[in-house]
Amino acid sequence: MFCRNQTTRATVARGSALEMEIRRGKFRRSVFLGTSQDSDIQKKIDHEIRMRDGACKLLAACSQKDQALEASKSLQTCSTRIMAYMSELQRMKEAQVMQKVTRRSSDAGPMEDRLPCKGKVAISDLRIPLMWKDTEYFKNKGELHRCAVFCLLQLGGEIFDTDMVIVDRTLTDICFDNTIVFNEASPGFELRVELYSCSSEDDYSAGSTPRKLASKLSSSLGRSAGKKLRAAMEPGPWSPVGNGGATPLLLPVPSVPGPKYHLLAHTSLSLSHVQDSFRTHDLTISGSEECSYWLPLYGSVCCRLAAQPHCMTHQMMSGCLKVKQLGGDPQSWTNVYASLKGASLFCYHRQEDVEANVEPAFTIAINKETRIRASEKDPQSKVQNICISNQYGGEEVTHTLATESREDTHHWMEAYWQHFYDMSRWKQCCDDLMKIELPSPRKPAPVALKQGSLYHEMVIESSNDLGSTVSDILARRMQELELRSQLGTSPTWMSLFEENDPNCAGRPRPCASRLSGHSPRPPHRPPRSPASPRRCPQLSLLSSDASLTSDSDSHCSTSPCSRRHGWPEPSSNFPLSSSSPSRPRPRTQSLDAKLSTLRGTLQCPCQHPPSSLLAPFPVSSFSPRSQRSTQTTLSCSSSTSSNSSSNSEGGHSLESSEGAPFSRPSPARRSLRNLKARLDPRNWLQSQV
Amino acid sequence: MSFMPGQPLTAVVQRIQIEKLRHGENLILGFSIGGGIDQDPGQNPFSDDKTDKGIYVTRITPRGPADVAGLRMGDKIMQVNGWDMTMVTHDRARKRLTKKNEDVVRLLVTRRSLEEAVKQSMGSYPRQ
Repeated sequence: MFCRNQTTRATVARGSALEMEIRRGKFRRSVFLGTSQDSDIQKKIDHEIRMRDGACKLLAACSQKDQALEASKSLQTCSTRIMAYMSELQRMKEAQVMQKVTRRSSDAGPMEDRLPCKGKVAISDLRIPLMWKDTEYFKNKGELHRCAVFCLLQLGGEIFDTDMVIVDRTLTDICFDNTIVFNEASPGFELRVELYSCSSEDDYSAGSTPRKLASKLSSSLGRSAGKKLRAAMEPGPWSPVGNGGATPLLLPVPSVPGPKYHLLAHTSLSLSHVQDSFRTHDLTISGSEECSYWLPLYGSVCCRLAAQPHCMTHQMMSGCLKVKQLGGDPQSWTNVYASLKGASLFCYHRQEDVEANVEPAFTIAINKETRIRASEKDPQSKVQNICISNQYGGEEVTHTLATESREDTHHWMEAYWQHFYDMSRWKQCCDDLMKIELPSPRKPAPVALKQGSLYHEMVIESSNDLGSTVSDILARRMQELELRSQLGTSPTWMSLFEENDPNCAGRPRPCASRLSGHSPRPPHRPPRSPASPRRCPQLSLLSSDASLTSDSDSHCSTSPCSRRHGWPEPSSNFPLSSSSPSRPRPRTQSLDAKLSTLRGTLQCPCQHPPSSLLAPFPVSSFSPRSQRSTQTTLSCSSSTSSNSSSNSEGGHSLESSEGAPFSRPSPARRSLRNLKARLDPRNWLQSQV
Repeated sequence: MSFMPGQPLTAVVQRIQIEKLRHGENLILGFSIGGGIDQDPGQNPFSDDKTDKGIYVTRITPRGPADVAGLRMGDKIMQVNGWDMTMVTHDRARKRLTKKNEDVVRLLVTRRSLEEAVKQSMGSYPRQ
């Protein structure tokens, strides 16, 4: 069967005599079969095969689309990994045999081939921009065409997949938040990025495809596609792959119909693409517009590719040395414990200092500009000294190192040569240490499935409606009325809203006291009955989320001095939000719904910010910058927001105008406030992050 | 830093890497931003060109993460983690900085002093 029985290829035919001899232990397996690395890979292959079987079963069993997509993604990843391990195994065997051959044939000379050190390569913040046609947005009112996408990243033998993202025309970019770190990369690495996508609209339930068709498909694919794969994956008869290699391996196409991912785009990144910042790379797109899995890619991928070679992060060589600076006293040798790491030789007084993270006594730079040579034998000691020369700002500084023995000198020189070689191979990665953040195991955040797009966000956030517009106007009217008449009786039209306000009864007393003016008010104004004998103007309408900030500000009735929690006086902040009730707003929520939300929010304890004043009261103390205090709402709301912005470090989980001690209003209210702020061209909004 | 909308922009930038500080549930960066394409650029006290609608740093919390990282008041933020900041709304800028799943933000900022430093260095070493 195999005619090559030369020592260059140790191919062992199955069932041959040689194999039998091996089995009997006459020959060491490793002669033909390699080292423990092989068994590692073998284990990995077995593991992946098991995973793939599991994914197949899951795919067959699951009924929900997203489960199916995830299972299919795992399947794809497992298949790719298996293929990669197989080829790795093949390569390793070949390399081993080649190595043995070279060793045997050449004389026992020093191995001139120096291998560069390995390093960590990390890719993060992958972002693939999309380029939807405008017809997709404006004319296409139909269902969203959605695709599930994920990326496979392959470097050397390691393959990782990102999380799956559902993409539709509301997204402008496909973003993958994962940070993927490859640990053992050589400087000549090739990081292959592949984008797989699958249309997520077809029905994939197991029963949909007729059985006969399904089996036909799988078996027919088995023959043609499988042949190719088998050829690539053929491990040879000497390393049994669990099933003896006789039966065909399971193909990437599962025998179960389900979502199948297709390669949409790919690119290859290498050392030249590594930089400590974000860069854009070109993508090669496969597939065409007719494919179901097509997405209009812009053609590039933006990411951060960083590398940390081991010579920068690990200690390459260490030992005790004697150091003398050239030009100094010949007797001024310093005993140090030196550690070669990164671009410097750190010299510590004692070995313990290295672990203790004490600052080194001094540091000698070892970089591309450094010159190292062994000096002539010192007549006093029999050992050669090593001279390290650096240019420090135009001046040449030379240090002389002496070791204990000749062997040590040799070791150190060897370490330096290796270090220089590493730096020449890793190039720009050795200029400075690039930071790589390890992906922290964070809790899966409650993320909305759809990533918001520019267009949708504007719509979602504005929860304005006409009701709040009305309430704004009413609030102001009420203020004026109230001030003029100082009565508790309300105009007849107010009674219309009274019924909507079940909450008013619950808060009579706080309102009464508030009007006298010294206690601060919560930002969420409770709706109060206009008919009650209280003096505070009561508007059930104020309960609307949308109007809360401005309205509450506008008719709140506390004195300017009421200030709890030591809010600093807003000094140099620009006025922020303002409400212009004359702006038309789309109707979104009914008043009743708003009331209920308001009631809910009021349950939570609020700490009281200094409230704003009624219209006629001077507001200058609050908002020194609001020159336009003619509009009460403007000044009042600006005081509230400017107070909050002048607050120190608020969490940024809130919108900008809140400080940490604020009770967080509902997102709708918050966003509305911000929307108003944003829409008013007279203000220059500042946000704290 | 002359700025013309629609024209390519060249600027000398500094890379600043800010590690967010965790304060309970919140991640704090320690600075405030102003500006945006939906804001009135005339009110920006830090910009040279009063039509510049970029995002500027308006305040730095002393000894906060941004201060420690080297961000200065008046810096114009050009890029955050690879996302452009020269043509964004204010809210989008804020959101880019405050993503909950990111612990580190890498900014590209530009400031007047950088441009001047480059000019000076180029001036004192004339080309040969």
